[in-house]
Amino acid sequence: MLTIPLVLDLLNGLKRREQGGITFELHIPQLTLQKGQFVAVVGESGCGKSTLLDLLALVSRPTACSQFSYYDTQNAETLQPTDLKNLWDSESENALAALRRSRFGYVLQTGGLLPFLTVFQNLQLPSKLNGYHHDLQIKNLAKRFGVDGVLDKKPQYLSGGQRQRVAILRAINHQPNIILADEPTAAVDKTRALSIVKDFHTLAKENGTTIVMVTHDRELVAPFADVTYTFDVTEESETLTQSNCKLIDIISI
Amino acid sequence: MNPSQPTQPKGIIARLALLDLRHEWVLSLCMVLAIAAVLAPLLILLGLKHGTIQTMRDRLVEDPVNREIRPARTLQLSTQWFEDFKQRPDVEFLIPTILRGSSIVRLSKPGERKRLVIDLVPTAPSDPLILENEGVVPKKGECVLSYAAAEELGVKTGAVLTAEVTRTRKRRRESERTDLRVVAVLNPRADALERIYTPFAFVNDVEAYREGRAVPTRNWPGGKALPPLSYDGLWVLMLRSLSAIEETTLTIGTGLADIHSLNAAEFRQQLGFPLPDGYSAYQLLAKGSPILASSIKRVKNKLRGKSAILLPYAQAIEIKRMTGETLKVIGLSLSESQTSRLGLPKLPWGKFNAAADFTKQGQMLFPRTLAGQQSLTLSSKIMNGEIEFPVTQRGLSFGDYAIVPAELIGTLRTGQASKIVFDETQQTFLLAKAGYRGFRLYARSIDDIPTLYREFISQNMDVMTQVHEIEKVKVLDRGLTRIFWLVAIVGIVGGMAALIASLYASVERKKRDISVLRLMGLSRTQVFQFPIYQGITIAVISVVVAIGGYALLSSIINLVFAADLKMGQKICTLPYNYLIITFFVTAGMAALSSLLAAWKTTGIDPAEAIREE
Repeated sequence: MLTIPLVLDLLNGLKRREQGGITFELHIPQLTLQKGQFVAVVGESGCGKSTLLDLLALVSRPTACSQFSYYDTQNAETLQPTDLKNLWDSESENALAALRRSRFGYVLQTGGLLPFLTVFQNLQLPSKLNGYHHDLQIKNLAKRFGVDGVLDKKPQYLSGGQRQRVAILRAINHQPNIILADEPTAAVDKTRALSIVKDFHTLAKENGTTIVMVTHDRELVAPFADVTYTFDVTEESETLTQSNCKLIDIISI
Repeated sequence: MNPSQPTQPKGIIARLALLDLRHEWVLSLCMVLAIAAVLAPLLILLGLKHGTIQTMRDRLVEDPVNREIRPARTLQLSTQWFEDFKQRPDVEFLIPTILRGSSIVRLSKPGERKRLVIDLVPTAPSDPLILENEGVVPKKGECVLSYAAAEELGVKTGAVLTAEVTRTRKRRRESERTDLRVVAVLNPRADALERIYTPFAFVNDVEAYREGRAVPTRNWPGGKALPPLSYDGLWVLMLRSLSAIEETTLTIGTGLADIHSLNAAEFRQQLGFPLPDGYSAYQLLAKGSPILASSIKRVKNKLRGKSAILLPYAQAIEIKRMTGETLKVIGLSLSESQTSRLGLPKLPWGKFNAAADFTKQGQMLFPRTLAGQQSLTLSSKIMNGEIEFPVTQRGLSFGDYAIVPAELIGTLRTGQASKIVFDETQQTFLLAKAGYRGFRLYARSIDDIPTLYREFISQNMDVMTQVHEIEKVKVLDRGLTRIFWLVAIVGIVGGMAALIASLYASVERKKRDISVLRLMGLSRTQVFQFPIYQGITIAVISVVVAIGGYALLSSIINLVFAADLKMGQKICTLPYNYLIITFFVTAGMAALSSLLAAWKTTGIDPAEAIREE
């Protein structure tokens, strides 16, 4: 059987948040991301989906973990994984920011596009931040995603669907290893939502990009997800809520 | 893996910051106008302050009268003083002046009886009073008139005037005339009085004539400023010895302080011929100042009826031939009867005469070694170097030394304490001008006046300057500067507060966008720069707008005041370097003002991008 390279793994992860005297704990016994995997993270509101996404997006420090590593599948020469736990422990914010910039792509609920840039400038930004010029690729992808006619417009003049497609384009343009999508279908109709999920699935399979898609609509992603994570939420007390992240479905790829 | 390997293009943060400003151009314009509204009035205020002071300074500087220093009372200044003072870097022009009483001439147009009694002022090349008041420096035979003088005389440039110099000598009124061509009439501001400006040589000649002396170069007759005779003492020859009382008497009220008798050997050594038989010799010595002819007269009176012969002498007179050979000389002036009594040969120049001129003084009984010479040019050390003069042979010396009239020795002795010259034209010794009674000085700048004023005060010279007028302008400048800074500080603080508030609010408003940028991998340091670039950009545009506003308003102000200003003068003006300084100071202030907003951006968490959604 062919070994699929690892992209990221998190073992015995814990993220504790306190707000207003109430503690929320997210336990992640094991979370493994493989290259080209379409990973769905589903669950009700408040179960810890966004907290998990924060951890995976390298913007929130895990309270505890036994292992948190990133494997660079783009650079075959790099044998050693990047020890993310160590980067967090040593507060290497710049190294984490550099990783986010070069190896991660983000699609937010309403796109997260910068209003002061045109669609084209928004699409250019991740490449520029990484020192690349992918203008031709941007135009080709825009054509494929049907947004080539709005490249000169500002995001506020786009429809919700256009905005999401531009956001996906922006996330993939600099060819990251992992794309994290936080409920990207929340603001669009069902048909458009299905189209977006299909796009993500295609990207994962065609480019080998690992997609982590957070959604509350399990049925939407079920036909496409290689792996689905969900959460068991228990009210331990009035002041403590615990959530356990668990793998519920694996489809061999 | 090395995720930071690709090179991020330079200036991407600045570009993002500018694009954001452009996106919110209405708000950006408001900020620009708010800052420009603070800066433009400050620039106008500074321009008014600078322009007003500059105009006042220009008026002070432009008019050389304000850089002029004149003595308040009569002085006695040596030529050396003038030479030294001219070397000062803060002195632009310095010329001696003469006593006002000696500098009066009467001017008239040819053929007219009307005469204008006018003050004569010396001038010389590079005289700012002339050159900066539409004049040209007059040469020989030329003059420049003050506006008032030209008006009174009714003449213009090119006219020829007759200058009459008058004096009263020996109870007789005398006058001389000379023609002067008017080469310029000065601007009225130069001199409110009726004055005529001529080359210094002419003024000097007028002074000499009015003081009774001749001016040979102009054929103006008069006396000569002959040097008085002075001596270090007297030899007294008597047919009997003087009692102690008589000796003492000779040192009382005569200017002579000591007396002692000379024996024959001492007499021979000092006078170069033997002491005549039957005579006693005494040496009377002056202590301190030399004696004059009046002292000799007093001694003569005291010895009246005692057949005394007085021989004035000077001790340290060294006379040299042009070859450098020192000539031992004794001064001897005796009447025929005196030489006969002493058994000496008759002297061709005869008895002592204090008023004798060089006709008598330029004679000599040559030493035998120079028997073949008819005349000699000799030199002697005087106060400022050496003086050369000719002597004619009138025979050979009967003594050990060459013999000259005692009057020559007296003149040379005077030359050791006073400046004398030998005038070739008149073939006589003359007293040189001892010094000058005043001056006309122009400082290089009005800022040099206070320093020069202090210098004169330290030399105990009362002078008249415009130092108080200049000080008034400086005080006004200081006062206006303080007011400007007070307003400027309030304005700058207000402007900075507005910018701080605007940028801080902007960061609050853009929290989501900045968190997205952080999520996309911008570091804290990079987002820190975001508001700083925006602050500087706003400030730079504000300065440009403010300078534009200033240019417009200052033009209007200058136009309004144009009637009261001269060509090129502006009441509201700023040098370019002020604008450049304003540009950089504002940019610096803007950078400083944006620090709070910049610090705020570093606190924005990338996770907020996810949560805000």
